[in-house]
Amino acid sequence: MKLSRRCFLSFSIGGAVGTALSPLPWKLTDDLSIWSQNWPWTPVPPDGESTYVDSTCMLCPGHCGIRVRKIDQRAVKIEGQENTVLNPGGGVCLLGLSGLQLLYSPTRVKGPLRKIKDDKGLPKWESISWSLAIEEVAKQLMDLRAQGRSHTVASLVGQEDGTVPQLLKRLIKAYGSPHFYHMPSVEDTQGAVLSLSQGIDGFVGLDVENADYILSFGSALLDGFGSPLRMMRAINRLKEQKGTLVQIEPRLSNTAAKADLWLAAKPGTEADLALGMAHVLINQRRFNEDFIYNHTEGFELFAVMVRNSYTPEAVAVTTGIDAATITQTALAFAAAKRPLAIFGHGKGQAPGSMREAAAVNALNALVGNINRPGGLHAMPAYDYIDWPAPFLDGIAYAGFNAKRVDGSGTPSVHRFFEAVDAAPEKLQLLMIAEANPSYSLTGCGKIKQAIKKIPFVVSFSSFMDETAMQADLILPNHLYLERWEDIPMRAGAVRQTVGLCRPVVAPQQNTQHLGDTVIQIAKALKGTVAQSFPWDNYYACLKQTMGNQWQDMNAKGAWEKEPAVVSPEPGFKTESGKLVMMNEPLKKILGAIVPAPEGDEKKFPLQLVAYDSIRLSSGYIGNPPFMNKVLPDTVLKGNEGFVELNPETAGKLGLAEGQSAILTTPHGQVKVRVHLNHGIMPGLLAMARGLGHTAYDGYLSGKGVNTNELIGPVEDPASGLDAAWGIQAILAKA
Amino acid sequence: MKQTQIHNEQPPRRYGMAIDVDKCTGCGSCMVACFSENNVPFKQDETDKLLSITWMRVYQLTNGKTFPHTEVAYLPRPCQHCAGQHEGHSPCVSVCPATATDYSADTGIVSQIYTRCFGCRYCMGACPYHARYFNWWDPVWPDGMEKYLSPNVSPRMRGVVEKCSFCFHRYQMARDKAYTEGGRKVQEAEYQTACAQACPAGAIVFGDLNDPSHAVNQIVKPDAHNHYKSGNPRAFRLLERLGTNTKVYYLSSREWVRRSGDNYRADEQPGMPGAAAQHG
Amino acid sequence: MDSALIPEGVKRCALWKFLLGLAVVGGVLVWGIIAMLLCWIKGLNQTNMNDYYGFALWIWADLAVIALGGGAFFSGLLKYVFGKDDLKNIINYAVLIGFICYSSALLILAIDVGQPLRSWFIFWHANVHSMLTEVAFCLSCYFAVLTIEYIPLILENRQIDKVPFFHNLGHNMHSTMAIFAATGAFLSFFHQGSLGGVAGVLFGRPFAYRESILNTIWPYTFFLFTWSAAAYGPSFTLFITWLTEKITRKKLVKNNTIYLLAKISGWMILTYIIAKSADTLYWVYQTAPAKGFNWDFFFQNNALYGKWILFVEIIVCGFVPGLLLVFKSSRENSFLRVAATFLGIIGVSLNRWVMVLQTMAAPVMPFDTWQLYIPSWQEVATTILPVAYGVILIMISYRYLPIFPQERELNPVEGADPDHAHAAAPHIGHEATVA
Repeated sequence: MKLSRRCFLSFSIGGAVGTALSPLPWKLTDDLSIWSQNWPWTPVPPDGESTYVDSTCMLCPGHCGIRVRKIDQRAVKIEGQENTVLNPGGGVCLLGLSGLQLLYSPTRVKGPLRKIKDDKGLPKWESISWSLAIEEVAKQLMDLRAQGRSHTVASLVGQEDGTVPQLLKRLIKAYGSPHFYHMPSVEDTQGAVLSLSQGIDGFVGLDVENADYILSFGSALLDGFGSPLRMMRAINRLKEQKGTLVQIEPRLSNTAAKADLWLAAKPGTEADLALGMAHVLINQRRFNEDFIYNHTEGFELFAVMVRNSYTPEAVAVTTGIDAATITQTALAFAAAKRPLAIFGHGKGQAPGSMREAAAVNALNALVGNINRPGGLHAMPAYDYIDWPAPFLDGIAYAGFNAKRVDGSGTPSVHRFFEAVDAAPEKLQLLMIAEANPSYSLTGCGKIKQAIKKIPFVVSFSSFMDETAMQADLILPNHLYLERWEDIPMRAGAVRQTVGLCRPVVAPQQNTQHLGDTVIQIAKALKGTVAQSFPWDNYYACLKQTMGNQWQDMNAKGAWEKEPAVVSPEPGFKTESGKLVMMNEPLKKILGAIVPAPEGDEKKFPLQLVAYDSIRLSSGYIGNPPFMNKVLPDTVLKGNEGFVELNPETAGKLGLAEGQSAILTTPHGQVKVRVHLNHGIMPGLLAMARGLGHTAYDGYLSGKGVNTNELIGPVEDPASGLDAAWGIQAILAKA
Repeated sequence: MKQTQIHNEQPPRRYGMAIDVDKCTGCGSCMVACFSENNVPFKQDETDKLLSITWMRVYQLTNGKTFPHTEVAYLPRPCQHCAGQHEGHSPCVSVCPATATDYSADTGIVSQIYTRCFGCRYCMGACPYHARYFNWWDPVWPDGMEKYLSPNVSPRMRGVVEKCSFCFHRYQMARDKAYTEGGRKVQEAEYQTACAQACPAGAIVFGDLNDPSHAVNQIVKPDAHNHYKSGNPRAFRLLERLGTNTKVYYLSSREWVRRSGDNYRADEQPGMPGAAAQHG
Repeated sequence: MDSALIPEGVKRCALWKFLLGLAVVGGVLVWGIIAMLLCWIKGLNQTNMNDYYGFALWIWADLAVIALGGGAFFSGLLKYVFGKDDLKNIINYAVLIGFICYSSALLILAIDVGQPLRSWFIFWHANVHSMLTEVAFCLSCYFAVLTIEYIPLILENRQIDKVPFFHNLGHNMHSTMAIFAATGAFLSFFHQGSLGGVAGVLFGRPFAYRESILNTIWPYTFFLFTWSAAAYGPSFTLFITWLTEKITRKKLVKNNTIYLLAKISGWMILTYIIAKSADTLYWVYQTAPAKGFNWDFFFQNNALYGKWILFVEIIVCGFVPGLLLVFKSSRENSFLRVAATFLGIIGVSLNRWVMVLQTMAAPVMPFDTWQLYIPSWQEVATTILPVAYGVILIMISYRYLPIFPQERELNPVEGADPDHAHAAAPHIGHEATVA
C-alpha cells in the first residue's frame, strides 16, 4: 500500500517530467501550429498555367473590352483591355470586375428546368434534357399556331441589337406574332426625338470626348450613364482641359459632386429649365445663327413659344433656380466652343419625358452643335445584319399583322403588361431573354401580377431571377463569358462599333447558347418557320452574318465601321433636309402638360425619387456580392434599406439619422431607415435603385427595398413610354 | 519580405501612390479590383463596416455645408505603407510581437505574413487608418465560387490580420521576370497595383517615389531629406502630423478636402498646421 | 471528511458547505468555460470585437488583473529586499492573489488571440521592438516566479509536508525566496511597464501616445503603469484580505501589517497620482495639440467618454484614496481604509479601461467617427471565468493551506467541536500509518 502509493506518485511525476523533457511536446506544439496554418477548410487555389483571353463585357450597355486571366481552365480575374476600340482608355468598372462572381454563382440555372407540381400541388422545378425542353416549347407553340392563335405569343428581350435578339425577333415574325418587345430605356426617347427632328432611324451619339461644356440634365455621367467608363474618362478629360460640367438634378449625386456647377432644379422641371435657357439664347441672340438660319426649320415657331412661356423669371419660379443663374448658365453654354446638352436621367434605364428630350435637343440645335465634333451625333441604325426576309406562311402573315395588345404606336412594355393584366386571354405564351421585368420595371408588382396570368412563360435566363422564378420553363442561356456574340455599341457611341464576345471558359452549367436554342425551336416548328432559319447553329449564323468582317473582328475583338466622310453640311434626313426645331408633333410634345407624379399631394406630401449608383446593378444583372460589399452603410444596413432626406425635412418629421421609418406611396408601404444628407433638396426622399431582390440567394435576396415596387410608371403623353421621375410619398416614424 | 538589394548603386525602391481626390468619382472599382485580385473574402452581410474586410476602402468626405452648398469628395484609402520617422518605424511593424508584419527596406512595402500572425491585433490598434482587418470568420466562398480564386495570393485562415500589400505578388512576378531578363530594372508599367490598374477615372497613380522617370515621382515631388514631404501644393498625406510618413499621397485643389486629411486645433488657421510631432 | 488536510489548529466550515460553495462558483466557472470553448471552436466572431476594437474587454481585463496582481511583486520586494518583515503575515496571500491574477491574464490572452495554437510564435519569431514581446517574456517568466513562490505554500499542506522530500523542498525554497522575490520585482517592473508601453508607443493614436523619457524606448506610461501597479496592487491585496475576513468571519491578519501595507499603498498612490496628473497636463498642453487635437476632443461626453473620467480617475479614485491611506486616522479607520482600497481598485481599473478602450473609441482620421462597444456575453463570461477560478483557488488554498500565519493566534480554537474532532481522529490515525 505504502509502496504502491509512493510508486504511483513517483511514476506519475517522473513520467510527466520525462515526457516534458522529451521532444514529444515540442513536436506536438509544432505540428499543431503547422496544422493551424493549413486548415483543410481554408481553400488553397491550385496553381497552373496563366493565360489571358480577350472578350467584351456584356453586363451593361457600355460593353468594355475585357481581358480575363485564367489559371488552367479557371477564370481568376477580369481586367480591362489596355488598347481596344471598345473603351480606348482601358480599365473596367466594378460590375465588370465582379463578372466571375456571376459566372461561378450558385444562383445560376444549372440546366433546362420545367415547373411541375409536387404531391401537395406546390410548384417545384424538374430538371429536363435540352431536347425535351426544345420539344416542350415547340409543342406549346405548335398547338397555339394550330389554333390560329400565333399572335398570342410574345417575346421580350433586354435590347434589340445584334444577331441573338434579331434571331428571336425573326422567330416571332416567322411564327406569326407582332409581339416583340425590348426593355425600355432612354434610347427609346432619344431615338424618337432624333427621328422627329432629324428624320433618322438610329440612335444618339454623344461626342463627350470633344465637348468643352457639358450640360447634363440629370444624367449619371459618373454613375453609370450610357457607357460608364467612357463617360468617366470623358468627364475627367473635360476637367483636365478646364472644360465645364453642369449637373442638373435635385440630389448631390457623384456626378453633381464633380460638376463645376450643380443646379438643383425641382424634379420634373428640367424641360422648363432647358426652355428657359433657350429663351436666354434667343432673346440675347446668342444662338448659332448660321446653323439656325441655314439648317433648321420651324425656328420662328419655336422662338415664339419660348418667348411667350419661358422667361427666366417664369422658369425660376417653376424650377427653383434663380433667373440670374439660368441666364449665366445659358450664356456660358452658348459661349463654349463645343457645348453639349445631354438628356437622360440616371443611368438611362427609363425612357423619360419626351418634352424634356425635345427641349434638350432644341438647346443643342440652338448652339448648332449637331453632327459636329463635341456635339450630338445622329447615328444611323446598325445594318450589318442583312438576312433575307423570313418566310411567312398564311398564319404567320396574319399573325404578324394582327393588332398588338398594347395598341400604341411604339411598342410599350408597360402598356403591354397592362393589357395582359386586363385581358389575360390575349396572351398565351411569353418568352423572355436577358431581361427581368418582374424586378426592374417601374411598378413591378403589377408586372409580376400580369406575368402570373400568362399560361406559359419561357425564360432564357442564366440566373434564377424574379422573372425566371415565375417561368414554366427555363432554357438557360450561356453567360457572356461562355459564349460567342456580336455586340453593336450604342449608349452614346459616336462611331459604329461591333464588339465580339467570345467564350473565355467552357460552359460551367448545362446551358445552351440562346442563338442555338432559337434555331432549334425554329427547326422543331418545321415549315416556313424552320425554312427561315437556314443556319446549322448560332456560330455558323454569326460567322455568316459578319461575313468579311469576321476575320478582322475575331483578331481585334471588335469591328469598327469607317466613319462617314464629314461633310460641311449636317445633311439631315428630314423632308426639307433641315433639322426640325418645331412642327406640329414637336409643338404638341413641347406644349404638353407634364404628367404629375402619381399620388395625392395632400395624402402624400413628400416626393420619392429613385437614384442610380454605379455600385448597384439595377437591370437584368443582380448585384454581385463584391458590389454589395462596397455599398455604404447609409444605403443598406443589415437587410434594411435607407431613404435619404435633407436634415431639414427629417427635423420636421422628427426623424434622426439611422432611425426606422415607414415609407408609403400609392404603390406600397415599406419599412426603411433614414439617412440624413445635406446634399438633397428639402421635401424630397431618395432611394437607391437596385436593391430589394426577392430571388437569388442570401447574398442578394431580401436586402433593402426595390424602388420599382414603390414607384409606378407614368405614361408620357407623346411616346406612351414610362416618364416617371418619382412618386408622391409619406414618411412617418416607425 | 526583406530582400537583399540587387542594385546597390541605386537608391532603394520606394513604392507609393498618388491619388487625385478631385478625379476620384467614388465608384468603388478600386475596392472590387482589390477584392478580386487578392482573394478577399465576403459574407452575406457586409453592411457592418467594422467587420468588413476592405483592403482598399473609399471614404466619403463632406464639406459639412447645407443644401445646396454641400460638397462631397471621395478618398480611397489603401494601406498607407508608413515609413515612420526613421525608415521602417511604421506604427504597426514596430508593435507586432511576432514579426508577422515587416517593412521592406528594398521596396518600402509593409508586408503581412498570414501564417506567422497569431492574431493578437496589436497592429490594428496601432494603425490610425484602420487599414488592417481581422478574419473574425473562416473565409467561405459560396459553392463553386472558390473557382475564381487566384493562386498568387493565399486565402487567409480565420484568426489572422490582413491588409493591402500594394499587390506585392505582382511585384514579385515582375521582379522575377526582370531578373531572368538580365537583372534589368522593373519597369513602371510592369508593376501596377490592381486598384491603380482598374481605376476608371485614372485617379490612382502608382510607382517608385524614388525614380524620377515614374509618374508618381513627378506628381508628388517627394523631399527625401524631409520625410518625403511632397513638393506639390495640391498634395497632402493622411494624418501627416502623426509622423507616420506614409507613401500614399492625395491631391486636391480644394482647401476643405486637403484640410480633411489631418487634424487641426480650433485655434489653428486653415492650412497652417503646427510643427510635425516628434517621437522616438 | 477532509479534516486531515486542513491545517492544524484552525477551524473550517463543514465540508458540505464548502462543497456547496464550490458548486455555486463552479457553475459560473462552467459558464465561462463554455464561452471559452465557443471562442476557441467557432472563433472570435463570438465576441463583439471588430476591426476598430481589436483590443477590448479582454485586454482591459488583462491589464487590470495584472495591475491588481501587482501586490505580489511589490510586497515581495518590500519584504525580501527592503526588509519590511511585518509583511510576512500577508505575503502568502499576496502571492496567491498574484498567482491567480497572472494565470488569469495568461488564460484570457490564450482566448484573445486569433490563433492560440501558434501563440508561441511570440517567443519564436520575437520582435524585440514590440512592447508586447517584452510583456510576453516578462509575464511568462514572472508567472514562473509566482509559481515557484506559490509552491512552498502548497508544500506546507499538512499531508504533503509529511513527505520528507516535499518538506525539505519547501524549506529550501523558502530560504531562496528572497532571490525569487527580487527577480520577480525586476521582471514585474518591466512587464508592468511594457504593458503601459503597449498603449504609450502608439504614435498613430494621439489619445494613448506618450513621449518617451529622455529619448529612451520607454514612454511615460511605461513608468506610470509600473508605479500604479505597485500603488494599487497592495490595495487590492488589502481589499481581498478584508473580503476574506468578512466571508470567513475571522480576523486573519494583524492590524499592524494591514496598516503598514495600507500606508505604503497610500504613499504610492499619492505620488503616482501626482505623476499621473503631471503626465495628463503635459498630454493636454503638449502631446495632443502637437498632433492637431484639442484635448477635450477626446472627452466629448458621448454615451461613455466624458470629462467625468478624468475627475473620477484622478480625484475620486486617486487623490482621495491616496490621502485616506496616508493619514493615520483615516487609515486606521476600518471603513475609510476599505473604502480607499476599493476606490483605488476602481481607479486603476478605470485607468486601464481608458488606456485601451477609449484609445480605440476615439477617431483619428478627421472623417472617421467615434465607435462605442458593448462586449458580448461570451466576452463577459470568459472575463468572469478567471474570477470564478480565482475564488475557487482561494477557497481551496484557504481551506487546506496555512495562508495566514496569524490565523491560529488570532482565532484560537476553544473546546474543539466534538463532531469535528470525531471526524478528524480516524483520518489522522490513518494518515499517520502512511507516514
